Amino acid sequence: MIKNFQSNVFNFLLKNGVENFIGVPDSTLKKFIHEGLTKKKIIISTREEEAIGIAVGMSLSKSKSLVFMQNAGFANSLSTITSLVQLYHIPIIFLIGWRGYLPNDAPEHKKIGKIQPQLIKNLGLISKIVNESNWKDSCLWALNQNKKNLTCALIIRREFVD
Amino acid sequence: MLIRKEAMKVIVNEIKNEIIIAANGFISRDLFNVHDKENNFYMIGSMGLASSISLGIAIKNPRKQIFIFDGDGNILMNFGSLVTIGSIKPKNLIHIVFDNSRHASTGGQPTNSKFIQIEKIAQKCNYSSVFRVKNKQEIIKVLKKIKTLSGPIMILIKINQGGKIGNRIEISPTEIKERFMKNLEQI
Repeated sequence: MIKNFQSNVFNFLLKNGVENFIGVPDSTLKKFIHEGLTKKKIIISTREEEAIGIAVGMSLSKSKSLVFMQNAGFANSLSTITSLVQLYHIPIIFLIGWRGYLPNDAPEHKKIGKIQPQLIKNLGLISKIVNESNWKDSCLWALNQNKKNLTCALIIRREFVD
Repeated sequence: MLIRKEAMKVIVNEIKNEIIIAANGFISRDLFNVHDKENNFYMIGSMGLASSISLGIAIKNPRKQIFIFDGDGNILMNFGSLVTIGSIKPKNLIHIVFDNSRHASTGGQPTNSKFIQIEKIAQKCNYSSVFRVKNKQEIIKVLKKIKTLSGPIMILIKINQGGKIGNRIEISPTEIKERFMKNLEQI
């Protein structure tokens, strides 16, 4: 698989103290996940809420954690984010694939893709869109939020249709 | 059969000061009223996730025993957790399920746990040992027995519904977290 910025994101976060990468796969994030699987650093859970629960347990043990998911899974996770992550102020880095970013994306991605930015805003979740040119700054920003005990989200746009 | 609070008293009397992650609702409230201590993690919301949080803690603290106080409604909501726990197989995880076949915290509506055997599913999901118990003597016996066994272990306790509703947890979520983390750090 061709290396791209997603591999860099994984390696940079790993090198800078993120110890756990837990989630449910997304084709939008496949290069990130592939890099993690190659390094045997990924835990695949059955659902996104479960991944967040595991990450919370690890964060309670002072081990930095990232949870990756599709935006469909993000929608599944709203209650877990409000009543666990935010209620207890547990710092987690989310990595969310923005399905439905392109107007011609698959029908099941369209609605969630459209409401995603507002949903993230309404949750009060601070976020940044990560791309080829800003990936290092975005990672540094996320690590800094984590250090400040804040939860944040990195978003990767789905810029292809398959 | 005992009611939940009675069963909980028997367990905490046996396991003393072990780390406990308690599911939301009456389970956390009963534990708070029966034996509050710093290394209890009380869930206020996020139903279903006690076993997932415990898995994260168990992976990161392999030398400490982690007890989950779960309910039938709770684990039914996150059955996939049995698969993930059974795939990772943490030796230090003890999963206790208080099974009254009810959503007690929301008014006693039925769950479907009376039609199935949750512990048999855990066994098929690679739990090392599973037990089903229903009275004080059996609970004490199984808690002594598991001292020589490695996890993941499930102990399903059939309980009766009923009993006075425990007071709400009087400490804030942030405080629950902070004292838990501080305690976890100590060896």
